[in-house]
Amino acid sequence: MRKLRTWVYYISFWSIGFLGFTQKTQPAGTQKEVLLDSLPVKEKTPLSLRFGIDLFRLTRTQFSNDYSGLELVGDLRVREKLFLAIELGNEKTTKQSEQINFTTSGSYYKIGIDYNMYDNWEGMNNNVHLGFRIASSSHNHLINNYTLLDRTPFWPNFDTPINAGFATGERANLNAQWFEIVAGFKVQLLNNIYLGLSLRLNRLLSDSIPYNFDNIFIPGFNQKTDENKFGGGFNYTLTYNIPFASKKN
Amino acid sequence: MSKTVFKYCLFSLFASLLLCCEKDDICIQDVAETPDLILLMLDSNDENIRKSPPGFNIRAIGTENVLLQSRGDSIPLPLNTQEKVTQFEFILNQGSENENIDTLQINYDRIDQFINRACGYRANFILQQPAITLLNPGNDWIKGFVILKDTITDEKAAHLGILY
Repeated sequence: MRKLRTWVYYISFWSIGFLGFTQKTQPAGTQKEVLLDSLPVKEKTPLSLRFGIDLFRLTRTQFSNDYSGLELVGDLRVREKLFLAIELGNEKTTKQSEQINFTTSGSYYKIGIDYNMYDNWEGMNNNVHLGFRIASSSHNHLINNYTLLDRTPFWPNFDTPINAGFATGERANLNAQWFEIVAGFKVQLLNNIYLGLSLRLNRLLSDSIPYNFDNIFIPGFNQKTDENKFGGGFNYTLTYNIPFASKKN
Repeated sequence: MSKTVFKYCLFSLFASLLLCCEKDDICIQDVAETPDLILLMLDSNDENIRKSPPGFNIRAIGTENVLLQSRGDSIPLPLNTQEKVTQFEFILNQGSENENIDTLQINYDRIDQFINRACGYRANFILQQPAITLLNPGNDWIKGFVILKDTITDEKAAHLGILY
């Protein structure tokens, strides 16, 4: 856990540091030179594909026994400020939720659009983006054990966990759909290598309710609550950019 | 311009993430827990007449705990969730010369019902055939029983009537 925190600390330190760094070292007057040029320069929208991995889920897998997960991220630049974004993930986690111990495993995808709100200097390519995703998961739960709710226990062995039979066992073939609002940034670390952080506010649209249980945890969505359809999440991405084509405006 | 918008959006996102704290991590007291079996003591001549036997007491077998005594004429009996049977001693004229103890076994199946994330599961019971077995026959003061409701999911109505 300490190692994990150290990593998270370093990653955030780097990303913030680089964001400042890239701004400061901008050669002044770059824009003026463009303006002074008598010939109108045709602006090109670089069509580029960026793909990578979520570092947080990767590190968490390394340091936690109850979690294993992987998220692949990618985005395609379609306009100067517009990106088509996708996330594909797989998660397996064991949770002790008050009285119930269960394992959820499944995969998810998220598709949407990021809009870059950051005005880059010429030649720079940093992102401060706002966007949305439509997401869907297919998952299953395995109830490992639970204890029955009894506030006025009478029998001495009332809190013995139920490990087999009754409500334990698998709840398969479940799915959930939700909507995400995404805010985040991507900072160019090295040529074509980016480090990003994004925060997500999730709104559950629909989910298939498992028999005699609930989707307490949904891969990609995280915790589902009873009275509130909202959830939250984030990722820490390391991505590589392939500028594979240019499109003339 | 766009930076201000972005800052505003980021702030609202943070704020909403913070405000998302939910109450359902705590199991509320109002949520019904595992129900007790509700028992009525009835006249063997007329099942509609409720009456209290003299010097009457019930003891649970397998625990030193003392049962809470009745609310009015109905008696709540906690069923053992770890077993399929629970045994009770029904005592008539307790402490007197003609004390009479009938040992009854209640037979049931358990079904666990999901409540929510914070509360987990509660047990429901279904009375089996026969619902009651008399373990010490001979000189019985209990004449029989009637099943009023064979699924025990709440404590709103009586489930079992004992005739004597």
